[in-house]
Amino acid sequence: MRTTSKIASVALGSAVLLPFLGAGVAQAADGSTMATLRPVALNGVKGSGTAMVTVNGTRIDVTMAANGLLPDAPHAAHIHFGADARHECPVAGDDAKGDGTINTTDGGPAYGPIVVSLTKTGDTSPKSGLAVDRFDTAPGGKINYERGSINVSSGVAQAITEGKAVVVVHGVDHNNDGKYDGTTKSDLDPSLPTEATDPAICGVLNAAPAGGMDTGAGGTSTPNNEGMLLLGGGLLMAAVGTGAFTARKARNRV
Amino acid sequence: MSDITKSGGRRGSIAAAVTVVLLVVGGFLVAKSFSGTDAPPQPDAAQSAPSVTPAPSSSPPSPTSSPTSATGKTAAPSTADFGPIMGPSAPVSLKIPSIGVDTKGIVDLGLDKSGKLQAPTDFGRAGWYANGPTPGEFGPAVIGAHVDSKSGPAVFYRLGSLKKGATVSVARKDGSTARFVVDRVARYSKADFPTMTVYGDTKGRAELRLITCGGAFDQSTGHYVDNIVAFAHLTS
Ligand SMILES: [Cu+2]
Repeated sequence: MRTTSKIASVALGSAVLLPFLGAGVAQAADGSTMATLRPVALNGVKGSGTAMVTVNGTRIDVTMAANGLLPDAPHAAHIHFGADARHECPVAGDDAKGDGTINTTDGGPAYGPIVVSLTKTGDTSPKSGLAVDRFDTAPGGKINYERGSINVSSGVAQAITEGKAVVVVHGVDHNNDGKYDGTTKSDLDPSLPTEATDPAICGVLNAAPAGGMDTGAGGTSTPNNEGMLLLGGGLLMAAVGTGAFTARKARNRV
Repeated sequence: MSDITKSGGRRGSIAAAVTVVLLVVGGFLVAKSFSGTDAPPQPDAAQSAPSVTPAPSSSPPSPTSSPTSATGKTAAPSTADFGPIMGPSAPVSLKIPSIGVDTKGIVDLGLDKSGKLQAPTDFGRAGWYANGPTPGEFGPAVIGAHVDSKSGPAVFYRLGSLKKGATVSVARKDGSTARFVVDRVARYSKADFPTMTVYGDTKGRAELRLITCGGAFDQSTGHYVDNIVAFAHLTS
């Protein structure tokens, strides 16, 4: 009888545990990632920012803040990833044409193609990469962007958690005239000047720290003090004993 | 008779000497266990509950900043309202007046193979997670320091006694100062550490995490079993 109920409770216990174990395995790659966005080499932007991407299976939540961008102009923003890319932000050496700036073609070998378009509304696929009417226009040069539940492929989700995806915000006012212009056309869309699509700030999404921190060697810890208190107390008790013995001896002498 | 008295007297004086030694050593140990090497303070439950803070906003709410403002300069509905944010600049020193922290020479910290944030090698220095946002930037900037060394208190010895509303200021390389106010101080088991809560998305605020050790000290591993984490947000 007792055995039966034991078996039953073990079986019940496993049944209850199993779904949790399953969930644990499925979410093994989930996590929080961050990118510190810094000016792209050669493009002379003074801006910066932070992007945070939380991965839940094949769903991602994104928040991003940036400043120092060209105000009141659309800033295309993407998550880039390419299996063959270097998974980093472009460097001066990526300026293939030697024209002194980094354009989208120059950025390719560093961060790969667009995998997510960080639009404010609607589609977030690479197809919306230049949907200029749906990107943040950086009022005052600032972007405050928040968008949850963006669906991505499992490959992209994995690239993000493995530190291989790169966040890029585009739009550089090279000639400082307050708008996107100039005779050089964009590599991505010849109807736009290259200023509108050149990468401005960039950062690799890296896993945030996980778990606690070992920040103590125990020199002031409680167990030490308890030990000290116990030992000290014990010695004092012993002193009472030997003291009594001394007193008795002294009395005997009289 | 005299022999007995003598030997009894000698035993008596030995016992007296032993008594004195026991009193001195025992008294010293008891006093020491209650003195300067007290166990580090731990946050109480009232400090770990989130304080009621207003929604992130770059300026105090006022009638003129309502969405129906006549200026017509209101943000698009989909633009999130983030709080004050500074540009990037690495931290150089940290001051927490209410618990007597004033530490210079903040070192860079990285992650170990398991993804855990490494502690400063110097017990007298605080360190910051150099691959994360700098203090004042959007996101959770992280500063960690030891609670104690093998011999006594270290930089964050009193972090557990930090209170909600206390101010924390971080001087930065560019000469600016990031000022934070403490939202809460909590103690978490390292075995069940809330990674997302501590290092995850801060939903539009520039925040700061101050981390040290807490709880019991496990002699077998040489580490404390808990972490104390103070959460703060940028005010200016
Ligand atoms: Cu892009």
